[in-house]
Amino acid sequence: MNINPGVIFTVAGFPVTNTLLATFLADIIIIGGVIALNRAVSLRPSKLQNILESVVDYFYKAAKDIAGDRAEYIYPWVLSFFIFIVVANVIEFIPGFESIRIGGHEGFAFLRAATSDLNLTLALATISVAVSHYYSIKYTGIKSYFHRFISFKMFPIMLFVGFLELISELVKFISFSFRLFGNIYAGDILLEKTFYVVLPLELFVGLVQALVFALLTMAFMSILTEKSH
Amino acid sequence: MEILHTLGLEWKLFLGQIINFLIIAYILKRFLYKPIRKMLEERRLKIDQSLADAENAKAALENAGLERKKILEGAKNDAGALAAAAKISLEENKQKMTEEAKKQSEQIITDAKQKASAEFDGLSKRIGQISVDLSGKILSKVFADLFTEDEKQKVIAKALDKIEKGGYEKIAN
Repeated sequence: MNINPGVIFTVAGFPVTNTLLATFLADIIIIGGVIALNRAVSLRPSKLQNILESVVDYFYKAAKDIAGDRAEYIYPWVLSFFIFIVVANVIEFIPGFESIRIGGHEGFAFLRAATSDLNLTLALATISVAVSHYYSIKYTGIKSYFHRFISFKMFPIMLFVGFLELISELVKFISFSFRLFGNIYAGDILLEKTFYVVLPLELFVGLVQALVFALLTMAFMSILTEKSH
Repeated sequence: MEILHTLGLEWKLFLGQIINFLIIAYILKRFLYKPIRKMLEERRLKIDQSLADAENAKAALENAGLERKKILEGAKNDAGALAAAAKISLEENKQKMTEEAKKQSEQIITDAKQKASAEFDGLSKRIGQISVDLSGKILSKVFADLFTEDEKQKVIAKALDKIEKGGYEKIAN
């Protein structure tokens, strides 16, 4: 299994890969679910509504516990990461997902897990970090934001601490993207080599990775939107 | 950079994925979280309202129970007072009626006595009259052979007059 996603065709120089098609499939499932739920939403919930209400309420309350009033703008991002990653991870278990191949045995799968593509995981990491910093500037002020990274108090200790903070922010891109990418890509290889014997384990890994990504985003957003002392 | 390219990083795909996720995040926020949070809030308010209503109903029921007890106690007291008043009134009526009956009986007795006395007087007069008449007849028969008719009439008239004036009681004594 090649680490690079397979390009199926190109549109005006834009490569449409098997992972991008899987992303679109995840989009369709999510949008379809949203439309279906919007039509059926009522005070007496259906089973699907009950599950979604529980998930929304869980993330809202978790954000509220960690970030207090800032939960209102933190939880939609966190929950979006969770839903998108869960759907993208789980759809790879649909029969035929990675078994339908282009170019024979030596070719590549028509559909491949979206999160096994570094482009997606790095995009999600970039959004997570960028949104965290945007809210940090918006809610703590530009002075407080820069004070976190550059401070001459207790020179040179706080300056060094600020430098470490800067490094940790850069490391977030790597940790977010490579953790998700590595876990799902490794899982795909494992599934292929063990003929789907470890499928329940991989399903669990998919859920856990989505939860880890979402909760880390929540923690980082909460920390960055708190005024530094 | 070379290593990222080796790992399959393609800036067009990277940007495409960013835009794709931002659209999905917007759709989810606008059409999923908002309606669900609104629904949860509505349901919470409804539950709170229902609980408050249930509390109010419970309190009203308890109040109604207390009110009922109070009314029953009041009614019991009123009934007791009424019974006592009725007893007093009954006693008074009894006494009044007894007195009235006593008066009436006394009046009847008095009336009867008067009546009896009047009857007795009337009877005495009648007996006196009868005795006068009887005496006249006796005297007329006794004197028929002793006196002339004229003398007889005078004696009888004198005797009768004496009898009448003397009255029954005098004669009887």
